[in-house]
Amino acid sequence: MSGRYGLFVMVLLLAAALVATACAGQKAEEKKIVKVGVIYPMTGDLAAVGNDHKAIMELAQEIINGEYDLNIPLAKTRGLPNLKAELQLVFGDSQGKPEIARSEAERLINEEKVVALLGAYASSSTAPASQVAERYGIPFMTPESTRADLTERGFKWFFRNIPYDRMAVESQFKFLAAVRDKGINVGNLGLLYENSLWGQGAAQEQRGLAAKYGFTIVVEVAYPKEITDVTSEVLKLKAAKVDTVLSTNYINDAILFMKAFKEQDFTPGAIIGLEGGMVAKEFIPSLGKDAGYVLTTATWSPALIETKPIVGKINAMYKEKHGKNISAYQPHAFTAVMVMADAINRAGSTEPEAILKALKATDYPGESLIMPWKGVKYDEKGQNIYGDVPILQILDGKYEVVFPFELASKQLVWPAPPWSERK
Amino acid sequence: MTRKPTKETLPALPGSSLLKPGFLVPLLAFVVAFPWVFQRSTFQNTAILVLLYAFLGQAWNILGGYAGQVSFGHAVFFGIGAYTSSLLLINTGLNPWLGMLVGAAVAATVAAVIGIPAFRLTGHFFLMATVGFGEIIRTLFVNLPEVTRGAQGVFLPLLESSIKNLMFRQSNTGYYYIILVMTVALFAGTAWLERSKLGYYFKAIKEDWEAAEALGVNATRYKFIALAISAALTAMGGTFYAQWVLYLDPYSTMPLMVSVQIALVAILGGVGTVMGPFLGAALLLPVSEVIRVAVGGGGRGISPMIYGLAIILISVWQPNGIMGWVQARERRAPQDQTGGAEP
Repeated sequence: MSGRYGLFVMVLLLAAALVATACAGQKAEEKKIVKVGVIYPMTGDLAAVGNDHKAIMELAQEIINGEYDLNIPLAKTRGLPNLKAELQLVFGDSQGKPEIARSEAERLINEEKVVALLGAYASSSTAPASQVAERYGIPFMTPESTRADLTERGFKWFFRNIPYDRMAVESQFKFLAAVRDKGINVGNLGLLYENSLWGQGAAQEQRGLAAKYGFTIVVEVAYPKEITDVTSEVLKLKAAKVDTVLSTNYINDAILFMKAFKEQDFTPGAIIGLEGGMVAKEFIPSLGKDAGYVLTTATWSPALIETKPIVGKINAMYKEKHGKNISAYQPHAFTAVMVMADAINRAGSTEPEAILKALKATDYPGESLIMPWKGVKYDEKGQNIYGDVPILQILDGKYEVVFPFELASKQLVWPAPPWSERK
Repeated sequence: MTRKPTKETLPALPGSSLLKPGFLVPLLAFVVAFPWVFQRSTFQNTAILVLLYAFLGQAWNILGGYAGQVSFGHAVFFGIGAYTSSLLLINTGLNPWLGMLVGAAVAATVAAVIGIPAFRLTGHFFLMATVGFGEIIRTLFVNLPEVTRGAQGVFLPLLESSIKNLMFRQSNTGYYYIILVMTVALFAGTAWLERSKLGYYFKAIKEDWEAAEALGVNATRYKFIALAISAALTAMGGTFYAQWVLYLDPYSTMPLMVSVQIALVAILGGVGTVMGPFLGAALLLPVSEVIRVAVGGGGRGISPMIYGLAIILISVWQPNGIMGWVQARERRAPQDQTGGAEP
């Protein structure tokens, strides 16, 4: 018994030592500090996301606190000049669980005395964490949670940078209108969508916007996402003489449809996806060259590294530190730090009401963003109204930005060449 | 009343040293004073989680510990309780306390329906069936957006802070005392159950249900009773959770992991004992929380690793849970006394 007990104590001591070493690196402060709390899943299923976000947010903190020759507010000066203070990000771990996200928000507000919160990736963590912020009267900014009704709660302290799903659909129609203005024949639209919450919601938006922008939908084809044979669905599209397909799919069905289009030699002028399956990382590898010419919305694209200088510069700094390119939702996290720091600096105070006022007056310039957006400016619900969603096209096996035209990395190809003429 | 056995005629129950005033009074004083002594929100949130899981573990213990029907599907009842009161609050403005009772009734009904096929199975097969039902009902919650708002989840409205609304805006003390009262009441009820006829029926079914049937206990009926009580109580815990976190969705409220955590608290503490679920919760949850807070965002995987290590150590060192260790001490103590008294 005592031998086992001894072992138990030893392991506990070892554990304590581990904890102590992990804590050791987190001290040291000399000058005035403004703390901003960040809640991400640092452990659990989504740990990779949280730690990637932490890495790029620390780069943002470094740029703010140091002096860098970048066309970004606060980069050229040290810290937050109006407060004569440094920015310090304090990270919390949500474990991807709502109740932990809630606890972490309280801990950061009460114990770390943060003046604002950022986070928390999954909408199910953002929801309770932002509720805590609302109760305490502290600004909460989400860089990447897209669940539409987060901004429909009538919250005073909640801000969202990322465009939500509805705005991606809107981007499809802005793109169609711009293409039409160039004299290209967009023709009749056909809607193809998986028949659950997401697909149905998208189709509803598409109907409304088609009427608004003056396009005609000639057929709607809805299918269950577990579908295994899509022949009759493709025949319906063919029979209706669809010129442009607006396609809302998950990955497996997206691949099935592309294969069936080829088999039945159905070549619409354009196939425009809504993220989902069309941007999943399996899409191009599974289809090879048959994925070519597909268009899709995406909130961010690696192609921006080459087309937008500021993205290239930030990417180079990140790559030097971490040995890889920035990806996925990392740019959103970086942007949130920059926009929040700018607002706190403009507020010139750490009073919550002053920061709130500054956030509401935000008009962040698009050229300083590593996003493809016109800028950051919030409506009365806290939603960023400048959050544009670019349109990508798969050309030579890569996603290229084709719209907005001024950010294009490659020229748009429309109509897509027929299957028989593709190499 | 006359047939009720007196205290002297009964053998001492295992772990009863933890039910004596010498242990209970200081413990109660400690938990009542806790929010005044520890004002940091991390401590208070952790304490609320400990009490909530002690409550859920005890609800599970009635079915899994006393009646011996091990379930890994209790997240379903937890979710039903959370959703019922929340949806009633949003759609009809029903007070959450009444919603809690409705949720308990709904959970007991669902439990009874699940019990009809599940109680045809025993042992491992019953356990597997509960996992299956858990997944089925969670999937239903995702795919019935008209009722449950599906994957979008449910946001609870922010009401005025009061005990009546079961909602407190800035302070956790209110939540703490509510879950404390709920937990103490449930533990007192369980202590009573252990000595009651119902409790003995449960234990008889657990030991050998065929023998119990032979002695005239309607085993199936009492299994249903245990399941219904357990489900109703778990649902009440669910309502508390909803009012505290203020957001629900099927993926985070009713995953298999919640079922496992509920069972784990009771199993590590000691199944079929009154204090087991409390000891299990008091050990397990702070281990995970304290490590997470101490390590913060920088610890990578250290926190779940230490958590897992603690579970393995307890299982290896004391397979009967923490209560097994307490009981071993109790057995040793009286032996020493009698040994000394012998001529």
